[in-house]
Amino acid sequence: MDEKLEALREALYALDGQTATAISTELIEAGVEPQRVLQEGLAEAMLEIGRRWNAGEVFLPEVVAAAEIFKQCQAIVEPALLASGGQTLGHRVVMATVKGDLHDLGKNMVGAMMKTAGFEVHDLGKDVPADRIVEAVRELEPTIVGLSALLTTTVPEQRGVIQALEEAGLRRAVKVMVGGAPVTEDWAKQIGADGYAPNAPEAVRVALELAGSERPTG
Amino acid sequence: MTVRHAAGPATASGGRVVGLPLRNLDVLPEGTVERIHAATLRVLERTGVEVRSEAVVRRLVAAGARTDEHARRVTFPPALVEEALSRAPRTIRLAGRDPACDLVLDGSTGYLAVDGNAAEILDLETGERRPSTKADLAEITRVADALPEIGFCWQPVAARDQPLPVQPLHELHAQFTNTTKHVQLTTAALPQQARGAVEIATIVAGGETELRARPVLSSFQTSLSPLTYDGPPLEAAAIYAEAGVPAGFVAMPISCATAPATRAAALVQSNAEILAGIVALELLVPGAPTFYGACGTVMDLRTGAAACGGPEDLLFQMAGAQLARRYGLPSSIGTFATGSKAPDWQAGVENGLSAIASWLGGADMLCGAGLLYGARVYSIVELLLDAEVFSLVRSMTEGVPDTDEDLAVEVIAEVGPGGHYLAQPHTLRHMREQWRPRFFGREAWEDWEAAGRPEPPDRARERAREILAEHRPEPLPPGVEDAILQVIARYTEGAA
Repeated sequence: MDEKLEALREALYALDGQTATAISTELIEAGVEPQRVLQEGLAEAMLEIGRRWNAGEVFLPEVVAAAEIFKQCQAIVEPALLASGGQTLGHRVVMATVKGDLHDLGKNMVGAMMKTAGFEVHDLGKDVPADRIVEAVRELEPTIVGLSALLTTTVPEQRGVIQALEEAGLRRAVKVMVGGAPVTEDWAKQIGADGYAPNAPEAVRVALELAGSERPTG
Repeated sequence: MTVRHAAGPATASGGRVVGLPLRNLDVLPEGTVERIHAATLRVLERTGVEVRSEAVVRRLVAAGARTDEHARRVTFPPALVEEALSRAPRTIRLAGRDPACDLVLDGSTGYLAVDGNAAEILDLETGERRPSTKADLAEITRVADALPEIGFCWQPVAARDQPLPVQPLHELHAQFTNTTKHVQLTTAALPQQARGAVEIATIVAGGETELRARPVLSSFQTSLSPLTYDGPPLEAAAIYAEAGVPAGFVAMPISCATAPATRAAALVQSNAEILAGIVALELLVPGAPTFYGACGTVMDLRTGAAACGGPEDLLFQMAGAQLARRYGLPSSIGTFATGSKAPDWQAGVENGLSAIASWLGGADMLCGAGLLYGARVYSIVELLLDAEVFSLVRSMTEGVPDTDEDLAVEVIAEVGPGGHYLAQPHTLRHMREQWRPRFFGREAWEDWEAAGRPEPPDRARERAREILAEHRPEPLPPGVEDAILQVIARYTEGAA
């Protein structure tokens, strides 16, 4: 069993999606606790990739590729997880590119890096209206909501989402992080966001700070 | 700055604007260009581009393009691509409010622009980074008007203190009142904004026919890499083109992120995006004046941000200009796009090499001066330093004239071995042809120390203050500014 979990982790390091999904399926079919597959296999591999990132050994495309494999495997594990009423991963993050903006690359990079720090990432996609973000915050009760915008014309929508959260009485229940090329620290302060980061690695640091936890150093 | 007196094509506009005599050097072997072209045609036929407007897709299909059942993906048969490209004019004119500032883009001369829509500016006085305003745009434009190295103006910064729907119209107001040079609008990507911009340009040009003959405004739209066009920008491009306002297409792919990792594939995708835009425009408005804009870079593998300024960029600049030449289209090439955060060594090296690459490669439009931090922050100091780099490169491009007067065998005989040339009439006749720096330091070490060790940016800052204190651009004719403001008021009301 431990060998299989090790093989699963190795498949993620090798960015071998085919092997990773095959082992995940095999483990679930063999009746292994889904929580173990998720925690000791997938999440642990992402944390190790995070350690390798910190050591400067891996590049961003590799982290994003690993996160995509993570997602494929998670989809295999999840039905069993729900059936067993199992718990989830660490702090939850809801991410979205705001309404009117079709650029989601930056958000995807941040999402991938967040997984390397143990966050459970829920990606709502791009061009997401404020009410859908509010709804997701209400349902998923995340620790952090991350709002991305690339255009000077869509950045104001970040303020719109914060206002919508206020109106829904949810603003105090969640930390709001903003990012995107035209976004600055000043803008983040001006619209009452809790955190801002200029790039994906920095976003992880800020998110950990906001979540009040340390990056696992293992 | 010393402008060379020998009047060539580069100084034809009487010194208000100077350009680079282009070398049009092919960096890619012919075989490579043809392989990239063939691959591009395959991409356009097989993968095509997503067009996010059913109405535009219908119009393109009516003109010969193909689509899928969802009317989102548009593909172009190779014959249609070639035919549509052949409709585009080979030469375009970017007219200035002052005819002496007219630029004819015919492949002989490259002109530098201030670009490109930064969201922040390094405050000239405090040195701090802050959000840009309409007043900043007006100031930068005024400085650009005074610099002969600047041929035309993009919106160097966004007028972020103005309401979004009419922001581009405020930007035009700030620029037409502060320069008589050509303005290229990069920010009006919605049909309504394009209509307002055309109205303003018509007023400035003095009528619809006048605008068509001498467009004081041009425009471009950008693709969303990979291979996507939003609907409204294509509609906006058609509105410009119908008014005779050049409407170009610019791709800004980032290798490893929004474009493939290899250089060849990045060029193929960039080429496909630009050609898709141009073909679409020529199908909608046959014969529309347009241009080929390439501004490629790579993703930094650690931060995920656009790198800007590296060797890939330099190659992409030259290859982009060469591909535009392959299709007989004027080129707009991202130049001076340093990734540095200050007007420093990195900015100097990256932008110096960048200027050389665009000159050698044959860029009709070099876009452009004054940006830092991968086009995110504008600096007037950097603008002046970039203009100095441009003038240095321009001096080199003038080459070695070889008339008898230039060879000067008689003068060499007269001075003879052991003499000197200081007071020779030949020296006095020609010494002003020598390039002289304004910001590079050539003073003695002692003088430099006595002056407090000034660096080039310090001198540039001083010069910027002088220009802002002294330079008053030719005002608009009476009534024109009021008419512009009325257009803005009307569109502001319409948007409310």
